[in-house]
Amino acid sequence: MKISLFNAPTHQPSTALLHVMRGLMLALSLHFSAAMADVKPLPDVDPKFVTITETNPTRDAGYVVGDTLDRTVVITIRKPYELVKESLPIVGYEHRWKGQLIGVELVDIKTEEKQKSDSTTHKLDLRYQVFTTGRTVKHASLKAEILQVRNLQTKEVFQLRIPFFDFRVSPLSIFGQVKLNEDMSPFVPPLLLNAAPEHRNLKLLGILLAFSLLGLLYIFGAYAWLPKMGGPFAKAYRDIRKMPETAEGLQSAVARIHQSLNRTAGNSLFASNIKEFVAAKPAFAPVSNQIQQFFDLSKQVFFEPDATVQLDDSPKDWLLKFCRQLRDCERGLRPDNKQKANA
Amino acid sequence: MSDTQLTDWREHALTLESEVNKVVVGQQSPIRLITTSIFARGHVLLEGDVGVGKTTLLRAFTRGIGGGYQRIEGTIDLMPNDLVYHTYLGEDGKPHVSAGPLLQSGENLSIFFFNEINRARPQVHSLLLRVMAERTLTAFNKEHHFPHMLVFADRNQVEKEETFDIPSAARDRFMMEIPIVVPNDDLIMEDLVFNTRFHDVDTLVANVPENILQFDQLNAFGALLQNSITASPALRSYVLKLWRATKTPTDYGIKVSGVDMKRLVLSGASPRGMGMVLRAARVNAWLNNRTAVLPEDIHDVLHATVAHRLVFSPVYEMRRTEIAREMLSGIISAIAAP
Repeated sequence: MKISLFNAPTHQPSTALLHVMRGLMLALSLHFSAAMADVKPLPDVDPKFVTITETNPTRDAGYVVGDTLDRTVVITIRKPYELVKESLPIVGYEHRWKGQLIGVELVDIKTEEKQKSDSTTHKLDLRYQVFTTGRTVKHASLKAEILQVRNLQTKEVFQLRIPFFDFRVSPLSIFGQVKLNEDMSPFVPPLLLNAAPEHRNLKLLGILLAFSLLGLLYIFGAYAWLPKMGGPFAKAYRDIRKMPETAEGLQSAVARIHQSLNRTAGNSLFASNIKEFVAAKPAFAPVSNQIQQFFDLSKQVFFEPDATVQLDDSPKDWLLKFCRQLRDCERGLRPDNKQKANA
Repeated sequence: MSDTQLTDWREHALTLESEVNKVVVGQQSPIRLITTSIFARGHVLLEGDVGVGKTTLLRAFTRGIGGGYQRIEGTIDLMPNDLVYHTYLGEDGKPHVSAGPLLQSGENLSIFFFNEINRARPQVHSLLLRVMAERTLTAFNKEHHFPHMLVFADRNQVEKEETFDIPSAARDRFMMEIPIVVPNDDLIMEDLVFNTRFHDVDTLVANVPENILQFDQLNAFGALLQNSITASPALRSYVLKLWRATKTPTDYGIKVSGVDMKRLVLSGASPRGMGMVLRAARVNAWLNNRTAVLPEDIHDVLHATVAHRLVFSPVYEMRRTEIAREMLSGIISAIAAP
């Protein structure tokens, strides 16, 4: 009888086809077992060429499922040997014991290497996570990791065994004593998530928000930190202080105060309408005489050089003092007539 | 020498002003402006309602200045030759020609008073404009000069029937247009009504001493005054800004209520007009005992010297007095000095 794979019904493989497939699988498994049987363990490296220092977790009990264990292994390999880096354990690898997964998995590995003239030191930071539990406390182990070292002269490869570390895994609850659905006592504190990063971020964002609001306040406040700060006379005072004590500087200073007076009045202010200005802005009433003096000075500086002006100080000092008084007035303060110009 | 002259003339000017203020009460500002125009050698146009004292005011000044004074009434049938001559039949039965008001005083004519100028025809305005500008007139095959003449004219803006509006070119020849309004002070108003001294205008005007000023020296003194009062660079810059603002007020943010500013001004102040502003401002500075012009001097004369020179769109001409005043106030308010 001729067997035709293509003529067989598609919904039910023929018995002959099944026989063929089973035969193939059996042959493959026999070949694989024979290959495995051929793998021989490598010889151990001579201990005089290798030094191993390990830093294990400080406790060896009380671990529950999900916990992590950090282990640091420092291996110093003397020449002519070197570490075969491909033999380092890989993340996700899980050891077996008698064909069964042991429930401890490598989740992170960090390596550092320091070369010396006669040796090489490798520092391995290993992090394992427990994925097993039981009804009672049970034994678990960080299995011995087997690395390979190569003799650079003979090209022979040897194995290097990192010692194992035993510990105990505890159950999350004691079997038979705690039933979670019955133990809803209000005295049991809730399980809390670690919110420290969120708290830190919240604080940082809060500070950022506070600075942003301050900036916004500064912008809406016409670039002044306090109300009535940064007014026309405050700015003029700062400008006039920087002006030189020359004829041009004096003209600039007088013009600068004119500019501020006009801005405060809302129109061009002249000697003839000082009374109207003071009536409209009573805060400036205490300095109305000084405003008149200022216009006399302006008249001399800009229009009538022969005119005489009576001032107690030099024009620059007097202008500074006058501008400061105007600044006080614009801030709603009572100007101090005795103050120094540069105070 | 010039300082003494300036001081002496100032005393005379203030005396004249004071005497006129005694006769025409409640008009200090117009009286100051007329005094200013006399020394700035500019013609004056008075504008105001009927019976507010325009004629009395001008007559009082005329008496104080001295010199020849002539007057003519503007009427619809007035012709230019009426200003130059008039004809009549003499006692001998023959026709005679005699000099008209312009020629009667010859070179000594100091004040030519044209009452109700807007009632005269444009032909008359035309003749008057030439006389005002050149101070000469050709008549009877001869050139007549009026070196000391000032024209004082008045007009009634309210009455429009049988009147001829004075064109802008003619208005520009007047240094000032001065509004005369009824005083608002109760005491002055009561005095004007009940005080009998105001009943007879001739007697009232006669209270002003004659010849307080020497009319024939006013031209020379006027020139001296203009040369003595200085204008600083800062003031020149300020005046230029004011001038530009009369031409393009929108550039300076000037606004007048109910007016489309883009359409308002057809022509701003003329160079002659701004020159007259400075002439008047120098006199104002001198009257205030100063040696240089200040922005305040410009403000004191700006309305009177510029408002009547502005040419507005026809749609706004009916409100020109009010609009011009608000616009010029806006210009003063908007432009800073320095």
